[in-house]
Amino acid sequence: MNHINEISKRKAINFFALSLAGAAAGLGLFWLIFILADVLRHGVAYITPALFLNEAAPPGLDGGGLKHAFIGQLLITLFAVLIGIPLGILGGTWLAEYGRHHSIGRLISTLSDIMISVPSIVIGTFVYAIFVKPIGHFSGFAGALALAIIMIPVVLRTTEDMMGLVPWEIREAAFALGAPYYKVILQVVYRGAATGIFTGILLAIARIAGETGPLLFTSFNNMFLTTNMNEPMPSLTVTIYQYAMGPYDDWHEMAWAASFVITLFILSLTILGRLIIRWKYKN
Amino acid sequence: MSDSIMNVNNLNFYYQGGVHAVKNMSLPIERNQVTALIGPSGCGKTTFLRCFNRMHDLYPGHCYEGEILFEGSNLLGRKDITELRSRIGMVFQKPTPFPMSIFDNIAYGLRLKGIKNRAELADRVEQALKQAAIWEETHDRLKQSANGLSGGQQQRLVIARALAAEPDVLLFDEPTSALDPISTGKIEELMVGLKQKVTIIIVTHNMQQAARISDHTAFMYMGELVEFDQTETIFTNPREKLTEEYVTGRFG
Repeated sequence: MNHINEISKRKAINFFALSLAGAAAGLGLFWLIFILADVLRHGVAYITPALFLNEAAPPGLDGGGLKHAFIGQLLITLFAVLIGIPLGILGGTWLAEYGRHHSIGRLISTLSDIMISVPSIVIGTFVYAIFVKPIGHFSGFAGALALAIIMIPVVLRTTEDMMGLVPWEIREAAFALGAPYYKVILQVVYRGAATGIFTGILLAIARIAGETGPLLFTSFNNMFLTTNMNEPMPSLTVTIYQYAMGPYDDWHEMAWAASFVITLFILSLTILGRLIIRWKYKN
Repeated sequence: MSDSIMNVNNLNFYYQGGVHAVKNMSLPIERNQVTALIGPSGCGKTTFLRCFNRMHDLYPGHCYEGEILFEGSNLLGRKDITELRSRIGMVFQKPTPFPMSIFDNIAYGLRLKGIKNRAELADRVEQALKQAAIWEETHDRLKQSANGLSGGQQQRLVIARALAAEPDVLLFDEPTSALDPISTGKIEELMVGLKQKVTIIIVTHNMQQAARISDHTAFMYMGELVEFDQTETIFTNPREKLTEEYVTGRFG
């Protein structure tokens, strides 16, 4: 009798906890879908060829586009990737291979984990202090540097984890065939970790593609098309911020459209990353 | 009548921190025969095995003393480890296929030796797979990932990979302990057949296996060599009481 009471008590507690967890998940999901649907719904209406083909029109005039912001965003992201990914991969490789027996390796790992959760605006102000201020002006390079600093710990930790998943015995087997360490890493370990590292890179790009804070203090903004990385450079995110705050209706429309594009881009990168992970585990 | 390919003389091995894992071992390794190393867990047999291809060199703080004579010189003093390891191959407890195709797995050691000619690579890959008795199962899927093979097939693939470099000696570290009985049987059969070409040293926990396939057996205990003799003698009429107790399963 007693233990039947016990079971129904447990069932009640289980039901209560499960309802709470379900409600919390539902609440989170509701807002997520709400935001996504809202951006997509509003944004898709304002997607026009002019958005991609024209530069900004003078305020108040029709027919402007965001070509300058798209190109600026691409350039800043490209340079961030060029700085951040090699450093992240090399650092992760050192941690996974050479640093695994050193306490400094563990320290760097832990610091990277902390770095991943540092608010991105802090990194923007940091780059402002060490790069923008001494040079004296905002620039695309500064923006790329800020985004690279955000990427590095993400890529570094992913690389370290993925290389760590390659069993040590596999390395020993390669050593036993006479391979020197650099060949073991390049030919065997990277091959085993490639999908994981690639996924990490995709997710890191998705992470920086939507950043506004760090760019406000570094690449700032520019109403004109430029490919000179040493000048203030427009980016989609800062442009969205500026246009959404602006007084003109067509600015608001373009901000919606730009939000749509950037959301879609990040969404597809993330989904692609997840798909690759799933595909990897299936095989 | 003994023709030894290697001679271990007063070998001592210390791990980082001075742990004395192999104590004053001396024994000959007979050419084209199978030498089994047996003993309870932690007795130093794997550590001893890993001295032959200098696997310990990967880790800091190790120390070898004594010598392993191989072709007239002490292999513990050699500088060219790549060359040494292509002469003395190793197969591990768990199958260790590389994350690449079956063909590239076998060709890996050959490419390390600088062989680039496609025809020669293809030819030697085929030979190695045939020697390891896995050609029949793999010849139509050489381009596929080696990870798709079963555990037993992977282990034979790894043996083929070691054989491709045409080594003189093959070291086996409990090669069948992760395999089912049928795969184990195939590997044992393979090892006996390979004696024609290579000298084999095998660490095993399975006494029946040692009795089935080896010509000589070394029994180790607490880092020391207790007894080394013909396998038949070790299992039927050992000199040492400790050996008899171990092979009859009374301890270990």
